[in-house]
Amino acid sequence: MKALTVLYDPTCAFCRRSVGWLSGQPAFLHLSFVPNNAPDLEARFEGVSKLGPFDDVVVIGDDGAVYRGPDAFIMCLYALRQYREWALRLARPALLPFARRAFELLSENRASLSRLLHWGGDKELGGLFEHDRGCRPGAAATCRQGG
Amino acid sequence: MNTPVVWTYVIYLMISVALTVWVARTLFKNGRVFLVDTFAGNEALADSVNQLLVVGFYLINIGYVTLALKYGDKPGDVQQVFEALSTKIGWVLLTLGGMHFFNLFVFSKMRRRALLSSAPPPVLPQGFLSGKPGVV
Repeated sequence: MKALTVLYDPTCAFCRRSVGWLSGQPAFLHLSFVPNNAPDLEARFEGVSKLGPFDDVVVIGDDGAVYRGPDAFIMCLYALRQYREWALRLARPALLPFARRAFELLSENRASLSRLLHWGGDKELGGLFEHDRGCRPGAAATCRQGG
Repeated sequence: MNTPVVWTYVIYLMISVALTVWVARTLFKNGRVFLVDTFAGNEALADSVNQLLVVGFYLINIGYVTLALKYGDKPGDVQQVFEALSTKIGWVLLTLGGMHFFNLFVFSKMRRRALLSSAPPPVLPQGFLSGKPGVV
């Protein structure tokens, strides 16, 4: 696996912050970020519409592997140079259930978390994602990749 | 000249330096395999790092041995010579042991980091897309 595409919810402040953070990190894998409401999603990722409604982050590998929810969070960490060790640690059988629960909690409470941290609610962010660093709908961002 | 003290120093230096050389050679000989694996078969780099680590090891240990020379009880007779020697050499052995494990820790950390880049994904995918995703 050499590349990962992260399908994120562009109307969620927490997701946008996470994308901004991820794209600034040195990575082992080439990371691309695509809003999950991009009109040409099905054209780019054949069969993606069968995955159903995107109520959580989805990560797609260059081999077509699909990771959803907590496992998608772990895959995002796995892509990063500084956090791969953590991803491997969290994925150990003893820690995985706790890690999954923690990421689920994070995901379920992402709206309240955004409000709590004054990152802005969904309304303010409705049209903002178009100005994101190259992460516009329909044009996947080519974000930083480490050697 | 206080003869027992001088003899203590002479024997202490001989044993300590010999021990340091023995541990350093063991580390040099057996650490190489670790390093070659860490640097993905790059033997020249592994040998260079190995040499540098051993030089550091010698510097720290011989530095400790020389610094610690004058500290401790000054023996007046043969019994005290042995007591002083055992205390001083005991500290040298503990320092060498600590340094040795530290070196092993550094080796294994380097190896783990090197293996990270080729580690497979830690979780299984929930499924596969019917068509491979386009280049994005």
